[in-house]
Amino acid sequence: MNRYVMVGASAAGVTAAETLRRYDPNSEIVMVSDERVIYSRPLLSYYLAGKLNEEQLLYRPRDFFERYKIKALFTRAVGLDPEKSQVHLQDGSAITYDKLLLATGASPRFPAIEGIRERAGVFGLRKLEEDAKAILSWLPQARRAVVLGGGLVGLKAAAALKERGLNVTVLVDSPHALSQMLDESSARIFEGLFERNGVPIRTKAKPVALLGKKNVEGVQLASGEVFPCDLVIVGKGVDPNLELLQDTKLRKDYGVLVDDHLRTSVENIYAAGDVAQVRDVVRGEPWINALWPCAVEQGRIAALNMLGRETRYRGSMRMNSVQFFGVPVISAGLAVLTPGPLGGRSGEHDETLESRPAPGIYRKIFLKDDTIVGFVLVGEVPIEAAGLLRILMDRRVNVADVKEELLELGPDLGYLLPLIAQNREHFVEREFQELVQTVGV
Amino acid sequence: MERLFCDPRRCVACRACEIACAVEHTSSKELFAAVLHGDLGPPRRRVQTLGAQPYRVAIGGVALSLGCHHCDPAPCVDACITSAMHKENGETVCDLEKCVGCWMCVMSCPYGAITPRVKALKCDLCPDRQGRTGRARYACVEACPTDALFAGTFEEFAQVLARPLERPWEVVR
Repeated sequence: MNRYVMVGASAAGVTAAETLRRYDPNSEIVMVSDERVIYSRPLLSYYLAGKLNEEQLLYRPRDFFERYKIKALFTRAVGLDPEKSQVHLQDGSAITYDKLLLATGASPRFPAIEGIRERAGVFGLRKLEEDAKAILSWLPQARRAVVLGGGLVGLKAAAALKERGLNVTVLVDSPHALSQMLDESSARIFEGLFERNGVPIRTKAKPVALLGKKNVEGVQLASGEVFPCDLVIVGKGVDPNLELLQDTKLRKDYGVLVDDHLRTSVENIYAAGDVAQVRDVVRGEPWINALWPCAVEQGRIAALNMLGRETRYRGSMRMNSVQFFGVPVISAGLAVLTPGPLGGRSGEHDETLESRPAPGIYRKIFLKDDTIVGFVLVGEVPIEAAGLLRILMDRRVNVADVKEELLELGPDLGYLLPLIAQNREHFVEREFQELVQTVGV
Repeated sequence: MERLFCDPRRCVACRACEIACAVEHTSSKELFAAVLHGDLGPPRRRVQTLGAQPYRVAIGGVALSLGCHHCDPAPCVDACITSAMHKENGETVCDLEKCVGCWMCVMSCPYGAITPRVKALKCDLCPDRQGRTGRARYACVEACPTDALFAGTFEEFAQVLARPLERPWEVVR
């Protein structure tokens, strides 16, 4: 009988625990988490907006731990001793593991701005108790909010606060909003949309100080301009939680480095989710795509490997789906032309396919050597093709013969079946194999 | 588990399955009433042309009707941030009460089988027809006038595919 220990109880940890229990009814499963409830972080902006209540954030039943016979330790893991196979906990005790999963996630990145740690009324948006609930209890005294960062979290928070009746301004360092997700012209559509909905977005705005005595009273830019406010949300991305790796030999780069079986460099230790740096299938190099679907898949595959059921992880890719003020957008791969926090690379494509059937509705597909490396889809009909474009990108299929069709593609898998049949060795899933056999091409 | 398959040799792209599917997912389950009350949503399966070829009956059809494959593991279930999309006895089901319309599932489905219309709409294997048997079990199968749609396991369907197609017009001639 084994003892599996998981540090972290969000998407990766929870999925791993479920998978372990599914295939191993008897072993001991221990989860260490500094949060008592299992909830969905991507839903926090819905909670902040008042669209969902706390109960609706829970994506697993409240008796999850009992149901799966999991021993939950609601404390912080503060150290790791691979020699002794032990995790040290905050209360001074230690727990021994046979197999360990690091699913410690990531934390909001607070840029080095004067006063950002000292002033009250400054929040990230990552955790239910310390962020979302704290913001809600701060709201009665807040009228004007400034959001630092024009990424997904920042803009979702801004829209939510607007919904709550606050005056909201978004300050973005980059030349345009959503710079990790959209190319400039796509981003302009959304900047205009926010503007029309009463949420101005200021680009190329570099904050240097948070003003105020005890509470935050304003944000000062490098230009000297001051935005008065009584609430600041920081949405400048996240950094992986690597505290446990201190004084260990685990290989790390930006996150914990893992191989294609999600094993770290130290025996019996695995990593999954926002802390794990895995192969990015589009970039072809180790990367962190801190995304819910990736964390879930990695949690499952790490668990299968912990069980000895050898399973290879294909890799992750950047992919984002979001809807602002009723306009949906899905983008994936290297739609980004500005460098990200990991350095980033630009100009990765040599061809752009573009169609704009109506204002504000369009598709943009980026190709390199006739292979899809990224796309941006805006509007309800265009986004229906996202899954098909993504699988073509994921499997590195040469799309030279179907370029025109790609721009007209609805959810038309049939169109692509001959191409999939030609590349059948890359489409190993049972369902694709069935389709190839069905059409007999 | 029973799933739905389409024999492309028999599919004549009449779209009867699409209409039947859309009607099945209305409150009245009756075409005229659904149109009258504006209750008709998108079908959860679509007739698709195979490749760029136009449909030609002379070569036995090059169209097929496709919907959710109820795959396992299902990428849409992995991607769902509310657990609205979940597995139930092998079926992939979306709990519309829980769906918040984030379209993570739409982004993840490699078969393009999920339609974003306020909620994530997809083949739910006709839950309101539970108890019916034979071709009447599924609205699309019942509606298919050429017997192209088939309910069963893929192994059973593969046997259908392996049988040479009967060509009634050749018999008549």
